[in-house]
Amino acid sequence: MAEAKDLMQRYCDGDAGAFRELYAVVAPRLLGYLLKMARERALADDLLQQTFMKIHRARGAYVRGADPLPWIYSIAHRTFIDEARKRKRAVVRVGEVEELPEVPAGLTGESAERRDDGRADPELVTAALDALAALPDQQREAVVLTKLDGKSVAEAAAIAGTTIGAMKVRAHRGYEALRKVLGRPSEPAKKSPGGPS
Amino acid sequence: MSGLDELSQLPVPVPPPPSAALEAELATLAPVRTRRPVRQLVVLSAVSLVYAGAIFVALSLRRDLHELPIVPSVCVGLTWVVGFIAPLYLATVPRAGQVIPRWQLAGVASLIGAIGFIVLGLLIHPSGPHSVALEDHVAPGYGCFEFGLATALVPVVIGAMFLRGALPVGSRWVAAALGAGGGSLGGLMLNLHCSVTDGAHVGLMHGGVVAVSALLAAALLPRVTNLR
Repeated sequence: MAEAKDLMQRYCDGDAGAFRELYAVVAPRLLGYLLKMARERALADDLLQQTFMKIHRARGAYVRGADPLPWIYSIAHRTFIDEARKRKRAVVRVGEVEELPEVPAGLTGESAERRDDGRADPELVTAALDALAALPDQQREAVVLTKLDGKSVAEAAAIAGTTIGAMKVRAHRGYEALRKVLGRPSEPAKKSPGGPS
Repeated sequence: MSGLDELSQLPVPVPPPPSAALEAELATLAPVRTRRPVRQLVVLSAVSLVYAGAIFVALSLRRDLHELPIVPSVCVGLTWVVGFIAPLYLATVPRAGQVIPRWQLAGVASLIGAIGFIVLGLLIHPSGPHSVALEDHVAPGYGCFEFGLATALVPVVIGAMFLRGALPVGSRWVAAALGAGGGSLGGLMLNLHCSVTDGAHVGLMHGGVVAVSALLAAALLPRVTNLR
């Protein structure tokens, strides 16, 4: 993506305006990804800010002429994984008390009442979000990147720091699990997450 | 699955403005020198070779060097050189248009180097009947081992400095490749210095330097190279 590349180069040259343009281009997509992973608007916003702070601190690691988007997505991926691990550790500590709260929570600890459903059919979106939330982190990310964010398997593998083969397996298993839960007919083979989208 | 279709068709969310902390950083934004992978590889290789050469001068060439067959010796030397350069290249230089180095290939290269040099050492070096008693030849090899690891130290440290805080993913494999590359340089120096040709010694000590330095680097370096 030439635009993001040019903006990143100008940003590295000390142009704060270029950063704002880059933010305007990249942040909405990144927030969409983080929202589907974290499922809580406040958490996704926080992860987005953390991601951009990391980008800012690590901008010297950028290679001129390179597309910054896969790198930026990888940083967002890393930020989400670190946060999810923190929250899992926190859940273990909560488990030591006698009574646990009855509020259903996803992997990242959000409550069912705090979902960001958007403006689509709320029932379908909620069902899909519930099914997504039930997936393991890796499968959820594979489905989000390849099916919802339109990344190719190779791009998704690079972002998640895994092999193309492993990403195909994760996406396939995640997609199959969703198909069982959502109970709708499977899509034609050409739309399977195994190929570039 | 219409549920997923609905999700994929959701409008793009409107992000919040950059945080106050980020705005404060932007207020004093200064130009930064971005990473130049090829230049880093050249500097990394050159400094490592100079360092290895300096260590080598302090020691000596093996006394039987002139008696060794030229072609096989050159081939073995070139194999060690490739074992030094290839993992460093993959660990530092990304594909054209990418920011993150080829950590998967770097990982494969480190595995091939770590296992390959041990196996080659065991297979191609003639071993006398006495080599069956491994302890006789492995135990005195600690000097070689330390020498090899000391040689590997500089490529690993310089590589870590170049990639400090740069890797959101794959940092362990990149670190292993840096360690394997440094270990191969150590192995090359050992083959030029040490005249022991016993298969167990060459395989486990000279080749083992590659495996151990790769493992040590993979264990320690991600603390430095991880993007936090």
